[in-house]
Amino acid sequence: MSDSTQTDPLLELLERQRQTRRHFLGWGAGGLGAFFLNSAMANPAGGLNFARAPARPLSALPPQFAAKAKRVIYLHMGGAPSQLELFDHKPQLTRFDGKACPEAFLKGKRFAFITGVPKLMGTQFPFHQAGKNGTWISDRLPHLERRIDDLCIIKSMKTDQFNHAPAQLLVHTGDSRTGHASLGSWVTYGLGTENQNLPGFIVLISNGGTTANAGKPLWGSGFLPSVYQGVPCRSAAEPILYLDNPRGVSRAERRQVLNAVEEINRSSYKDFGNPETVTRIAQYEMAFRMQLEASDAMNISHEPQKVLERYGAQPGKTSYANNCLVARRLAERGVRFIQLYHWGWDSHGTPTDEGLNVGLVGRCRETDQPTAALLADLKARGLLEDTLVVWGGEFGRTPMMENRGGQEMKYIGRDHHPSAFTIWMAGAGVKAGLSHGETDELGHDVVKDPVEVRDLHATMLYQLGFDHKKLNYPYQGLEQKLTGVKPARIVYEILA
Amino acid sequence: MSAPVYFAGVTVLTLAGITVAMLLRPAFASSVLRFTGLERGPVAAPGSFYSVRVQPLFDARCAGCHGDKMQKAQLGLESFAATMRGGKHGPAIIPGNVRDSKLYARITLPVSDNRAMPPSGKTPLTKNEVEVIQLWITAHASGSLPVSAIKNAPRLVRPVEIREVNYGLVQRQRAPLAATVQQLQRRFPGVIDYEARDSADLEINAFLAGRSFRDAELQALMPLRTRIVRADFSGTAITDASASMLGGMERLRILRLKDTKTGAGSLRAIASLKTLRSVTVAGAAPETAPLRQRGVAVYGDHDGE
Repeated sequence: MSDSTQTDPLLELLERQRQTRRHFLGWGAGGLGAFFLNSAMANPAGGLNFARAPARPLSALPPQFAAKAKRVIYLHMGGAPSQLELFDHKPQLTRFDGKACPEAFLKGKRFAFITGVPKLMGTQFPFHQAGKNGTWISDRLPHLERRIDDLCIIKSMKTDQFNHAPAQLLVHTGDSRTGHASLGSWVTYGLGTENQNLPGFIVLISNGGTTANAGKPLWGSGFLPSVYQGVPCRSAAEPILYLDNPRGVSRAERRQVLNAVEEINRSSYKDFGNPETVTRIAQYEMAFRMQLEASDAMNISHEPQKVLERYGAQPGKTSYANNCLVARRLAERGVRFIQLYHWGWDSHGTPTDEGLNVGLVGRCRETDQPTAALLADLKARGLLEDTLVVWGGEFGRTPMMENRGGQEMKYIGRDHHPSAFTIWMAGAGVKAGLSHGETDELGHDVVKDPVEVRDLHATMLYQLGFDHKKLNYPYQGLEQKLTGVKPARIVYEILA
Repeated sequence: MSAPVYFAGVTVLTLAGITVAMLLRPAFASSVLRFTGLERGPVAAPGSFYSVRVQPLFDARCAGCHGDKMQKAQLGLESFAATMRGGKHGPAIIPGNVRDSKLYARITLPVSDNRAMPPSGKTPLTKNEVEVIQLWITAHASGSLPVSAIKNAPRLVRPVEIREVNYGLVQRQRAPLAATVQQLQRRFPGVIDYEARDSADLEINAFLAGRSFRDAELQALMPLRTRIVRADFSGTAITDASASMLGGMERLRILRLKDTKTGAGSLRAIASLKTLRSVTVAGAAPETAPLRQRGVAVYGDHDGE
């Protein structure tokens, strides 16, 4: 091809036309753009260098300092599970059940749906103490209760977002608006992934459509290179959409197609020098390798029957239980960030099964046994030591009964409550059997050890071996960080 | 007066001055005697409750005014000897007697009292910190009692400190094995990594190579054995023939042997590794008992719960 360029005047003309100012300023070989892309990751301004060979964008990099956590399994309960019905025991709230909410708790607050003066409402389910440290827990999570000594429960989480989409974005990308890189993207950007034949950041969704309230930006890469985005996988049928060859195309034929595509891409790289082309070639190769390994990793049908029973998993179906078992398999195979989403915890009490006495019961039943089984399984295999497991929603629920439009509700529910919610963590370097933080006696505000979402992020990044201020990427004139611009604090009290 | 007489006179006056100062200031007297090697004050043992819990507390909260640079009321708290020596008002600690220990009295005064320590403007000690000091004084203000001997001490919470990395130093530490590491990284892609950017220690992720990683491949990694701190051989083809090689990783902290054909031989070989903290074994075996007794976390020898 290069020979014809030299003899054919038309192609020579095309060649000369390519050397425009646009190419110099843009991504052309030797252009300023390509120069910038490499230096952006090299981060000369006192940060860490995350530059890698363009053909291996997900190759593993060592953490800044020796880390307890090698991977993360994040269990997100979408819709916001009611902490008052699960973990935050408030006997005083039960005493005031049915009484009007005091003025002091309503003044200056914005609610999603509550209007007028709502009534206080005690827990709908009885609490009791469990485990070595007498941790309070409701009767809704009998399986998790047996693992309560592995958990570090944070009851003093706070957020400033009272609606689902911005709150989910805040929890998963560090900012309530779209456009920012997700937690998993930051982690795979900073650490890469161990297994180059599987995606580094995998998302598994159950009990809902593929899109959450906030949609795909929850696992998007934002301003980070797109190769670090989350890959949604399914635990039934084809694990990764469009990964398998079309019907009638064999693996050998696929290889031929890829070889041809690669030749064209390489020629394009020679002409234009855009390093994204090299990354694209690498991604086709990774997809080819993944066809074998991903199908095997996501296939739970060969697990022993007693393992399937422990999780409550059923091969061939889509369920949270299946996703938990897949998460363990992915953790064993060196995937860096595994995120599970389970929707339907938004217990407003509006019609459909979103009441505390209806929907919440169902959600607990769907998630309790698999979550406990996952923890036990990780622990038995020695994986819990270096896996950071996080469970939680995007905000809490109000101590007041929801009264949408000031009316009595058909089912019992609570409204969104950003001022206080509960999450728990387990595994890598987190102190087990600990309860951190407290809310007031009505469960309305945090009174001890508040933890902002960015504090949680800073702590997670610390467990993964990073100073959250040093894991950054220059964009729009700012050294972007997951923890954003407000000061974030590592919650060292929960670290073992 | 002649030069030698003058010189002798100055020396005598200097020594006299020092002696008077020593008589008036016991803290100064002690430091002079220590400096000249004539007196060695009591020293707290490194793993003692005092060294682990009490001294860091003093360093963090009291050293500004009662430390190396300054000794308000002639009280220094920068060492066990200084603490037990006391200051202007006599001993600050009466071993075994919390009520009469002036130090304890001062730190438990209400904040409004102007004799309270730390003085107003500084953060008072937390309940847990006061309890640590109280437990120590009750235990006869010992400098030797180990930290584990005092059972109900409040949990030690260490604020996080992220050190600046000295990359030059790290380069130098990596230098001796750097070429070997690079060569082996090319041979086994993805398997060998540095533990962290600020470390010269190595991690082996042989599980990524699967069954193609056998005893012979492990042999090839042996030049790095003193630097290996973490090794995951899960799902590889190594056997007990590698036992002595595993035993040769003298700084190993974490070892994973799940789904391998290793057995009793390997477990016996690693039983003597001093730094071993956690191991996942290939299956149940009686040889795991000595590991557990040493406090090593053992996984993989029983199924499920």
